Parts: sequence; structure tokens; C-alpha cells
Amino acid sequence: MGPIFALACKDLRLLVRDKVGFFFVFGFPLLFGLFFGVIFKGAGSSQGAITILVVDDDQSEASKALIGKLTSAAEVKPIVATYDAAVDQVRKGERVAYVRIPKGYGESARRPFWGTPPAFELGVDPARKAEAGMIQGVITQYAVRDVMKVFSDPDALRKQTATAIEEVSKAEDLTPVQKGIMTAFFGALDSFMSLTLTPGVAATDGGAASDGNKEGAEAGASIGIGGWEPVRITVNDVRADRRLSSKPNNPMDITFPQCLVWGLMGCSAAFGISLVVERTRGTLIRLRLAPIARWHILAGKAAACFLMLLAVSGVMLVFAMVAFGVRPENYGMLAVAILCSAICFVGIMMLLSVCGKTENSAGGIGWSVLLMMAMIGGGMMPLFFMPKWMQSVASISPIKWTVLSLEGAVFRGYTVTDMALPCGVLLGIGVVGFAVGARLFTWQEGSS
Amino acid sequence: MPPVLTVSGLIKSYDGVRRAVDGVTFDVKVREIFGLLGPNGAGKSTTIHVVVGLLVPDGGEVRIGAPGGSSGPPTDPAVRSRVGVAPQALAIYEELTGEENVRFFAQLQGLRGSELRNRTAAALQFVELHDRRRDLARTYSGGMKRRLNLAAAIVHDPQFLFLDEPTVGVDPQSRNAIFENILALRERGLTVMYTTHYMEEAQRLCDRVAIMDQGRILALDTVDGLVRAHGGKSVVVAALDGREARIESDDPISELVRLKQSGPLRDFRLEQPNLERVFLNLTGRQLRD
Repeated sequence: MGPIFALACKDLRLLVRDKVGFFFVFGFPLLFGLFFGVIFKGAGSSQGAITILVVDDDQSEASKALIGKLTSAAEVKPIVATYDAAVDQVRKGERVAYVRIPKGYGESARRPFWGTPPAFELGVDPARKAEAGMIQGVITQYAVRDVMKVFSDPDALRKQTATAIEEVSKAEDLTPVQKGIMTAFFGALDSFMSLTLTPGVAATDGGAASDGNKEGAEAGASIGIGGWEPVRITVNDVRADRRLSSKPNNPMDITFPQCLVWGLMGCSAAFGISLVVERTRGTLIRLRLAPIARWHILAGKAAACFLMLLAVSGVMLVFAMVAFGVRPENYGMLAVAILCSAICFVGIMMLLSVCGKTENSAGGIGWSVLLMMAMIGGGMMPLFFMPKWMQSVASISPIKWTVLSLEGAVFRGYTVTDMALPCGVLLGIGVVGFAVGARLFTWQEGSS
Repeated sequence: MPPVLTVSGLIKSYDGVRRAVDGVTFDVKVREIFGLLGPNGAGKSTTIHVVVGLLVPDGGEVRIGAPGGSSGPPTDPAVRSRVGVAPQALAIYEELTGEENVRFFAQLQGLRGSELRNRTAAALQFVELHDRRRDLARTYSGGMKRRLNLAAAIVHDPQFLFLDEPTVGVDPQSRNAIFENILALRERGLTVMYTTHYMEEAQRLCDRVAIMDQGRILALDTVDGLVRAHGGKSVVVAALDGREARIESDDPISELVRLKQSGPLRDFRLEQPNLERVFLNLTGRQLRD
């Protein structure tokens, strides 16, 4: 192991000191990730609205009006669905949340100050606390706004007041004392409305009075009036299982494997070319003259390449997690995918080293081949953007299998069985590539 | 004492047609500096590459032995560890420091720990690069790189050193330093095989010289022996009244006296036979043609 370790350390040191090579291994993929990450992140925020499913159990005018208001809201984009379908889609991770408008919502909305408030059910993945909080705020805002509207419409309020006095007198769930207090309250309110909000009386400062009422009502709603609860929202934890949907949690979930592929390609190209450089600059002669076997030399190069591939993968992963919030679903599977990808790219490195006799030809041919593989394998744009026939052709590119294995661990929820195919292909390419490359490698300039 | 290197009937062809080495036979004795002298393309580097095991010969045999020990082919790892090679191409890593270069090649030779540190330092001291050991090799001059190339070849304390054109592209000062290094190594007991196309180097350094051309050894002897056998006579070049006379003679002093007595002798110089003349006489061409 001594010579292999010495050879690997030497190669790692040389790569770190080669500014251009180091840039293509680390810098370029990070820039690639930063560029597309910012674009996708920006695209996400410009879309703004979170799509939620709305289950209308009430089917009243009030519930339909609420859905209408939610539709025109900037924060959410509601889609009406049945309860079962809504729960299913949230569980699959296809939608962030559902909101269930309960039966009796319309009735409750008419009497906001007594009785049980409308109890909305919010179904959301407990991992998505931020979205859950935002949706609760939106529901409360638009539901309470209905109540506020009553205050800004004197005629409607007086009608509601009259209805309320009548219903209070008939109510069986109120004590006589409560009935007395509420009847007195609504009576006073009716008198107040008739005094201040009738045309003529309000003419002197009607607008101001109206605004004052609205502000007062909103202030009252916002601070709560003695435990007044206009809307009740119960949260139903629906744990999302993304294995059922295979949808990315984050746009960077898609971009991360592609960035990583660029790092892997840069690394294998750098080491492949370095083998050619060893030959053209004469250092390979001295390596061959040392009392070590040829396979030691290739194993040292492979070890250095493998370690650097793992380092690139680690750096890219940390970058994606810290900068873009990527959270791989299965870290164990991700480790397996990265290991298999690294082995594959060690094989590719060995093949690249036989692409040309000189540094320039090896670099030119090597990068051309890599770019072609990236183009057809989904390294430049996700495969699902490509036509069907192209997706089939992509199977010949190791890039496809690298991306697939990484996606499988990051968001596709791959099981061991699912992972077997891409990882098997990657290992196969790695072993065969290394064997063929080592067999064809030219040890001395002008001879083999 | 048996020779430390025996080469017999060596043949090596490229492309199966062109014979770069054609039946070369020689041996090298312990603590000898043995020179292969010939123009570019004579087959010197190919011979060295076959001798050190980088190329497989098409015919013939090479055996390298230890003084008083067993011998073996150059591909034998035990033999390789006794051999140091400074290739013609600068086989160093430009992006490593001088110290990192020497230490890396020492590690490949199996050196570890304090021995690794001591040998690395000693090799750098020997070629007078210790002060610049922490600088990247790419910042070195051509002569310093050649000395670093030499340090990497001797760091594991070999018994046999192969130097392939070690002074190519080197300024006179560095060349002298390399000569002194080589002579000092011989004093330490190393056997050296040295290829060059510079006649002066072979004449100054080598105990025995093989003159090579077109893949063959044309003559092999000590420098004096070669000159005596193939150098011809000394030449007196005299500027007489209006003409220049070139007179070959075994006794140039007597010839000069005779010229002086025969008329006014304005100037003269004496051309002693040397390896250049030996090569010219053997091939009909100048060494640098």
C-alpha cells in the first residue's frame, strides 16, 4: 500500500496546485449549481402561490365565496377536491396541504359572535411547518374578512343584528342572563348603527365613521375580543411519503445531481489527462523504473481520482444543503450512489487516458466525449425535458445512471432493489472501463 | 572482479523495421564511469532504456549484478532497487517542490521514516539544492532542474547510476557542477553509465568509452586507447609566409623545428587527436553532423 499511498498523495497535491484543473473539479460545478440554483429558486418565488386542495363539505354560498376569495388571493392557489383525493395527494407529496371547509361553515359565518366557530381542517406534512403557518394565516385572514365585511355594510349589519336578537331569544343553549346581556348588546348596537350610519346622520363625516368602524373592527379582530374566536383551525398531520410520488422537494433536488456530475466529469478528465502528462513529460519513466509493479502506478492514480471524486461529492452535497436547502431522503442510499458513481468515473478516467497521445489531444477528445455523454445523459438538462426516444438513447450514457442513482437517493425514494440497476450499471462501467483503459494504456511515447 | 553490467548481442527495432540497436555488446566494471558517445539518433538512449528494463529487447541479454553478489535482469525489483536512473527528459514534477519531488521518488524506493528524511536531505545537499528545497521545481533554472533530476536518481543510494544525456540544455556553470557530482559519486563507489554526444564530456569524465553510430558500437576502449588506435597523428598547423601548412606528424615538436629552420614561421597551433577525430575517422562524419 505504501507506493499506492505515495502516488495518490502526489497526484492529489498536483491537482490542488493546478489552478485550472482545480477550478474544473470544484469551481465550475459550484458555479453551475449556484447559477441554476438561483434561477430555480427565483422561479419558485415568482410563482408565489402555494397550491392547496380545498374540500368544500359545506357547499354553501359562504363556502363558495371563501373559495372565490382564496382563488383571487396571491398567497395560495386553491384546487377543489374530494376529501379522500386531497388526503391522498398530500400524503404522496404531490400537494403541500389541503383545507377542509366544514359543514355548517355558512351558518357559522352568519353569527360570528356566538355558537361554535367554523372548524377548518388543515391537512399538511408536519415537516412543512412554514407552509402550514402561512396557510393558517391566509385562511384566518379571508374567513375573518367576511365578518369584517358585515361591519362595513350598515344595512347588512342591522339585518344581522335583528336576526341575532331574534335567534338569541329563541336560543336554548343560552342562560337567561346571557340572553339578557346579548339582547341588550345587540339592541345597543342596532341603536348605534341607526344613529351613526344612516344617510344624513353620517353625511357630515360618513366616510370617516365608516373607516373608523372598519379600523375598529379590524383592530378588535386582530387583538381578539375577550376570547372571541372567529375561525378555528385544526391541523391534521399527513406525513408525506415522497416514495409514492417521486417528485422533488426542492428545485435544487434536480440540479444537485447535475452539478455533481460536472464535478465528477472534471475530476475524471483531470486525472485522465494527468496520466498522459506523466508519459509525455517523462515522469512515467521514473515511475516505471521504481521497484513497483505497473498496477501500483495505475492503482495510485485510481486511488487519487477516487478520493477526489468523493471529496467533490462531499463538497457539492454540503453546498446544496447549506445554500439551497437540499435534504436527501436517504443518506445511506446517497452514500451508495456516490460510491458507485465514483467507481464509474475512475473507469472513465482510465478510458480518457487512452484517448490521445498528447496532453492536448487527450484533453480535447476526452472533454468532447464527456460533453456528449452529459448532453444525452441528462447532465445539461433533466431527461424529462427530452423526447421519449432521446430518453431511451440516454441509457448508453453513464451520466444518466449517475443522475438516476443520485436522484433515487435525494427525492425518488429508491429502495435497495430500485437502486440495484443504476448502481450495477455504474459499477460495470467502472470496472470494464478501468480494465480496458489499463490494457490499452501506452506506457512509453511512441510504443506500447 | 566480474563486471557489474553485462550486455550481450542486444537488438532492438522500432516498427519491426528500423534497428535502433544492432547487436551491441559491452560490459561495465565496478566503480567505472562508462561512456556511450555518439551523435543524436545513434541508439544511445534506446540502449540505456533496454539496459534499465524500460524496453524489451528483440534479442540479446542484459544482466545487472551487485558487487560480489548475484546478478539478474533489469526488470527484477531487487535489481531495480540497486539502480538509479536520470532520464534525458526531466522526470520531475514541476508543481512539486524540490523536496517533495525527491521525497516522493524515495518513497517509491521503499524509504520510510527517518531514513526517508535523511536521504532526501542528503540528496538535496549533494546537488546543492538544499536552500531551494521548498521552492516549486518550475521556478528552477534548467541547470537546477537537471540537478534535481540527478538527486531523484540517487536518493535511494543506488550502486549503479545511469545518466542519459545529463547536461542537455545546461549552462557551463551547472555543467561543471554536474561533472563534479558525478566524479564525487564515483569516489563514493558508484558505477556510472553515461550517454552523451559531447566529446569533451566523455573525454573528461569517462574511464572507458564506447563510440556508437547507427545502432552499433564502432569502438570501445579507454579514451587514450581510442585516440591511439583511431585518432591518427597530431597535426601541426603553421602560418608561413603567405600560406598555411597542415602537417600530420608523430613528432610535432621536430616538425615545428624543421618549419622554423626552413623560413619565417608567423604562427602555429597543434591539433592533438581526440574523440572527435576518432569518430570522424571511424564514420567519415563529424560527431555533430
